[in-house]
Amino acid sequence: MRLFGRGATDDRVLVLLEESGANAHRASAMLRDMLAGFPERSELARDILLCEQEGDRIAHDIIHRLNEPGSRPPYDARDLHALVSALDDIVDYTEQTADWLGLYGVEAPMAQAEELSDVLTRATVAVEAALADLHAGDDLSVHLVEIHQLENDGDRLSRDAIASLFKNGIDPMVVIRWKDIFESLEQAIDSCETVAHLLEGIALKKR
Amino acid sequence: MWDDSVATRPEGAPAVAPQSAGVRLAIVDSDSGFVRVLTKRLEAMGWQFRTLAAPVPPDELVAMRLNAIVVDLALLGPRSWEFLERVCDAIPGLGVIVCTERSSVAQRVRGLRLGADDWITKPCHPEEVIARVEAVARRRRRAAARTDAGPLVVGEVEIRPDQYQAFVGGQTLDLTRREFELLQLLAEAPGQVLQREEVYQRVWGYAMAHGDRSVDVFVRKLRQKLEAASPGWRYIHTHFGIGYRLDPESKLAADTEEPQQEPEESRVTSGP
Repeated sequence: MRLFGRGATDDRVLVLLEESGANAHRASAMLRDMLAGFPERSELARDILLCEQEGDRIAHDIIHRLNEPGSRPPYDARDLHALVSALDDIVDYTEQTADWLGLYGVEAPMAQAEELSDVLTRATVAVEAALADLHAGDDLSVHLVEIHQLENDGDRLSRDAIASLFKNGIDPMVVIRWKDIFESLEQAIDSCETVAHLLEGIALKKR
Repeated sequence: MWDDSVATRPEGAPAVAPQSAGVRLAIVDSDSGFVRVLTKRLEAMGWQFRTLAAPVPPDELVAMRLNAIVVDLALLGPRSWEFLERVCDAIPGLGVIVCTERSSVAQRVRGLRLGADDWITKPCHPEEVIARVEAVARRRRRAAARTDAGPLVVGEVEIRPDQYQAFVGGQTLDLTRREFELLQLLAEAPGQVLQREEVYQRVWGYAMAHGDRSVDVFVRKLRQKLEAASPGWRYIHTHFGIGYRLDPESKLAADTEEPQQEPEESRVTSGP
């Protein structure tokens, strides 16, 4: 079922948004693999950085198209600007997490970080699917509900993980490193929820 | 102090005396004036130390990986003798220096018989306290050197604490310090299952954060090196949800009895 009629608008923007969603999924899946195989798979940080650069390139292309004279964006340009920014944030926080694992000299992963990266990956799968449905004009709600649920899971995991660091006797360096990394993972998941909120708004405006 | 509060030697301060190098000291004393003067001197000498205004359980002292402790028994009140006995029993390698106010001969004799290595009466000069700590640490090191003179052999692996390295057939395993300490810890308790939390506390010197997979990762690295150097043997066994046990087994002998696999524990299953 098509929710919105679009007329002769710039379809390329929707294609680029799909690419952005796929890029976020790729980056988060690599972070999940990196953490699961850490430290042997630390080299994935380099590939995640390439995803971050690719995300910037896609965001630039979308913004460029939205600002072209005579541009006919398929949806409200302000919403699309915000959506691009939130999608970019997912990859930025994912890349920041991977970078900090190396920068902070982390020797081994934490189980909670692996769980959070799994939640992030599942959220980006839903983001990617929602953007594909946006392009197709289909109902997004099933994906948006899933993203909200995953964000709740991520929030709970992150709070528990940070609380567990403040038990007596834990190396303060471990606390400093992992508090930052848990928060970075949570921010990546929060950005998925921001994408879901924006998509919800776009869908409501088009009804 | 160390790590979170490591006192590094200030610029221009004298170099650490060779006999005190590597001494990790805890001062259990609430006499702020005494502690201030002593710690200022220790900082100038670049010592690693921690001050504790209240007594802590012996297992926390174990986690601090101390070489010596200076303790004022007056701080502990009526439970001072019990504390002294428990600490000396729990950490046999720890140098214990009692530094307390005026005492009777009977009290000093009791303290020394419970395991204290030295007894200093306040008021005292910080230089004397430091010199006595150095002397205790020196005696401990000599005793430890005598005890640890021989290498530890498990299966085909020869562990040489004097070189901080392990060898198979004369070839080094190229262990990092952490890997060596882990191997030594496991090898000192052959056949015993050591809990992950205990391993972490003994090797890393801190309580293990829930979910921390450091022990699993370092066991994995150690296994890879042992496997590469001694392929006919299996050394480290996993006890799921608990920890690890070092028990050298010839694969040939094990295979003829019952083939079994030793998958690495991939998830932390114990609660916080």
